[in-house]
Amino acid sequence: MIDLILQFVACARAADLRISTAEVLDCLAQIPLVDLLDERQVNAVMRANFAKSRREQHRFDHLYHLFFHELQVDEDVADAGSLAIHSDAIRDSLKAVEGSHPELAAISDFIAGDPSAYLQLLREIQTDGDSRRQGPGSNLGALVRRFPVLRALDRAAELVDRFLAGHRDEIHWETRQQVQRHLKRRMAVARNLLTREEVPDTPLIRKQPTGDERKKGIGDLAFNALSPSEVIRLRETIASLVRKLKDTADLRYAARSRGILDAKKTLRRAARYQGVPVEIVFRKKPPRKARLVVLCDISGSVWSSARFMLNMLYSLQECFDRVRSFVFVAEVAEVTRFFENHTVDRAIEKVLTEAGIDYSASTDYGLMLRQFRRLHMDAVNKKTTVIVIGDGRSNYANPEVRIVEEIRSRCRRLIWLNPETEQFWYTGDSEMRTYQSICNEVRPCGNLNQLSAFIKDLML
Amino acid sequence: MSFSSVADTRTALETAGYICTREIATVVFLAACTQKPVLVEGPAGVGKTELAKAVSHSLNRQMIRLQCYEGLDEAKALYEWEYAKQLLYTQIVKDKISEVVSGAANLPDAVDCIAGQEDAFFSERFMLPRPLLKAIRSDAPVVLLVDEVDKSDPEFEAFLLEVLSDHQVTIPELGTLKAVHIPFVVLTSNSYRDMSDALKRRCLHLYIDYPDVQTELAIVRKKVPGIADGLARQMVDAMARIRRMDLKKIPSISETLDWAHALIALQVETLSPQAVADTLNVICKHREDARQVRDQARQVVNFS
Ligand SMILES: Nc1ncnc2c1ncn2[C@@H]1O[C@H](COP(=O)(O)OP(=O)(O)O)[C@@H](O)[C@H]1O
Ligand SMILES: [Mg+2]
Repeated sequence: MIDLILQFVACARAADLRISTAEVLDCLAQIPLVDLLDERQVNAVMRANFAKSRREQHRFDHLYHLFFHELQVDEDVADAGSLAIHSDAIRDSLKAVEGSHPELAAISDFIAGDPSAYLQLLREIQTDGDSRRQGPGSNLGALVRRFPVLRALDRAAELVDRFLAGHRDEIHWETRQQVQRHLKRRMAVARNLLTREEVPDTPLIRKQPTGDERKKGIGDLAFNALSPSEVIRLRETIASLVRKLKDTADLRYAARSRGILDAKKTLRRAARYQGVPVEIVFRKKPPRKARLVVLCDISGSVWSSARFMLNMLYSLQECFDRVRSFVFVAEVAEVTRFFENHTVDRAIEKVLTEAGIDYSASTDYGLMLRQFRRLHMDAVNKKTTVIVIGDGRSNYANPEVRIVEEIRSRCRRLIWLNPETEQFWYTGDSEMRTYQSICNEVRPCGNLNQLSAFIKDLML
Repeated sequence: MSFSSVADTRTALETAGYICTREIATVVFLAACTQKPVLVEGPAGVGKTELAKAVSHSLNRQMIRLQCYEGLDEAKALYEWEYAKQLLYTQIVKDKISEVVSGAANLPDAVDCIAGQEDAFFSERFMLPRPLLKAIRSDAPVVLLVDEVDKSDPEFEAFLLEVLSDHQVTIPELGTLKAVHIPFVVLTSNSYRDMSDALKRRCLHLYIDYPDVQTELAIVRKKVPGIADGLARQMVDAMARIRRMDLKKIPSISETLDWAHALIALQVETLSPQAVADTLNVICKHREDARQVRDQARQVVNFS
C-alpha cells in the first residue's frame, strides 16, 4: 500500500498536483488508522491530505480514478492468459526495435502491465521541470520534457499495429482484436497520465446549464469575441481574481515585513499615552515592488485585450511601485493621469475618448517608438519593467528595432504581450519575429487565463 | 470520550443529530486520532458549523467558537488586559502603593519601586482570555471552532497558523503559555478567498458539497421528525432539481429545513406547483431566482 501511494504521489506530481513531503508523510501515518478494505475510507484519507482545494479535488479525483481503477484493475477479458502472452511478446518486440530508447522501453513495460518505469519517467519529468523553472513564464521545462514521451507513445502505437499486422497468421483474429483493444486502452491511460485533463480552474465560474457553447470557462474565451453579457461576467471574474491576488500579495508582505522594533516611532507614539508605549511600532521592510511602464496598442482588436489588462493592473495598483501607462495607434500619449483621477472603469472609457490621438491613423510602431523615445524615455530606468501589449502589426513601416533595443538596455525587463493567437504571429505585416528576439519575454495574452497568469508572475 | 473507528465516528455523529457521509466521518476520525485541525470548505448552509457542534457533542467536549470577521485581531482572539479592573484595584490598594514608594528618595526611585511590583497587575488575574487562549488553557479538552476563517485578514491567518502549529502563545508580560490539552480544531470557510498553502498544509481538508438525495432525506427526517414520508421525499427531489437551475444563490440544507417547516405549517401533504409557489420565499432569497423557480414550478415537482 505504501508503495502504491508513493507511486500515486509521483504520478500526481507529474500531473502538476502540488503535494508536499509533509503531506505524504501525514497520509502514510494516517492510512493504518482506517479500514484498508473500504476504498472510500482510503480515498478520503488521500483526498484530505493531497487535494486541499475544490480545484485540486477535481484533478485529484481524475488522477485517482486513472491510477487506482484504470491502471490497477486488469481487463475483464475471458482469456487473460493468452492476452498476457501476447502483451509480453509485443513488449519484447518493442524493446528489440529500439534498445536504447528509455521512453519507449518504459511504455512497453507499461502496456504489458508493469507501470513502474513509466511512472518513474513521469516523476523525472516533473522534478526536471521544477529545477528548470525560473522567473516568470519559463515553466516550460516539464512541457518540453513531455514531448519525447508523447512521441514515443505515438511510435509505440505504430509498432503495436505493425506487430499485430505482422503476426496476422499466428494469432486468431478474435484474440488479435482483443489484444489490440486492450493495448489501446493502456496507451490511452498512459497518455492521460502524462497530459492531465484540463479542468476549469476557477470555481467562481458556474457552468451555464443552457448554452452548450459556454462549456469553456470564461477564462478561456478570447477577449476579442465577447458578448456584452460575457464582458460583464468577465469583469466580475476579474474583480474576484483581483481580490484574491491582493490577498496573496498581502499575506506575503505580512509574513515578510515583520521587521525589527522601531524605537523612535514607538517612543514618539508613547508620548500620546503619558509615556507608556501602548502601541509598539515595527519597522517594515517593504518588499520590492515592480515599477511598471505599459505601452498599449489601442487599435482595433488589440484594445479588447489591452483594456482588461489596464483594468487588472490599475485595480492592483497598490501592489506595484508605480504604474505609468501610454497608449498609441501611431502617435503615443500618456494616460496615467486618467487613472489617477478616475475610477478604473471610467478611466478606461476616457482613454478612448480623451487621450488625444488619432484613432483613424494606421498603426505604426516605428513612429510610436520614435515619439516615445523623444518624449517619455525618462520614464524608463533600471527599476522599471516595460510591458508592451500589441500585435506588432506595423503596416510594413520601419520597425525601429534600435529603439526597442535601447529601451531593453535601459530597463529592468522588457515584456511583450501579444493578444493574437500564436499561429498568426509571424504572418503578414507582423514584426513579432524581429521584436521577439530583443524582448526579455514574449507571451500570448488573448484570454483571462493567460492574462492573470502573467499578472500573477509579475506581482510575485 | 473518543472515537474508535470510522464507523463508530459516523454513528456517534448521527446520534448527535448530524447525518454524514463516510468521507466526512473518515476525516473527523483522522483528525481525532492525529490531533490535526480540519479545514472544512463548502457553500453556505451545508452544515460546516453544525459539524463542529456535532463533534463537540459526541466527544462530550465544550465547544469554543471564534467567529472571524474582517479586522479581527490578536487582542480579540487571544486575550485582553482588563484595564477597568486594573484601575479599580490600583484605587483600592492606593495606601499600599504609597507604602511601597514611601521609602523612595526621588521620582526615578519611586518608579523603580512600582516597577518591582508590576507583576501583581499583569497577571492572569487581570487578563480576559478570548476564545483562542480559552481553548488552549482549558482544563478539559475542547473543540475549537474557527468559523468563517476566510473572512479574517491574511495577517490574522498567519498568526492563527502559529498558534495551531506550536500549540502555545506568547504573552509579553507573562511569557509563553503552553496548551494544557490540544483542542480538536475545526476551521470553516466559504471560499471567499483561498487560504494560504502553509495553513492548508497543516490541516486535513474536507469539502462539503450539497448533499445527495439520500443524505438530504435522512437529514430532513432527523431534523423535522413530524414530516410525512412522501412529502419529505418529494421535497428533497424538488430541491435537487432546483439546485440544477442557474440561480444566483443555490438553496442549501438550511433552506430545505426551513421549507419543510413552512410546508408543515401550511398543512401541505403532497407537493404541488401551487405549494411551491406559495412557499417560494423560503427557498429563494433573490427575486429573480424566485421568478425562475415559479416559472418552472411544474418541472420542479415533476408534474407533467
Ligand atoms: N448533515 C447534517 N445533518 C443535520 N443537520 C444539518 C446537516 N447539515 C446541515 N444541517 C442543518 O443545516 C443548517 C445549516 O448548517 P450550518 O452548519 O449553519 O451551515 P454552514 O456553517 O455550512 O453555513 C443547520 O441548521 C443544520 O442543523
Ligand atoms: Mg456556518
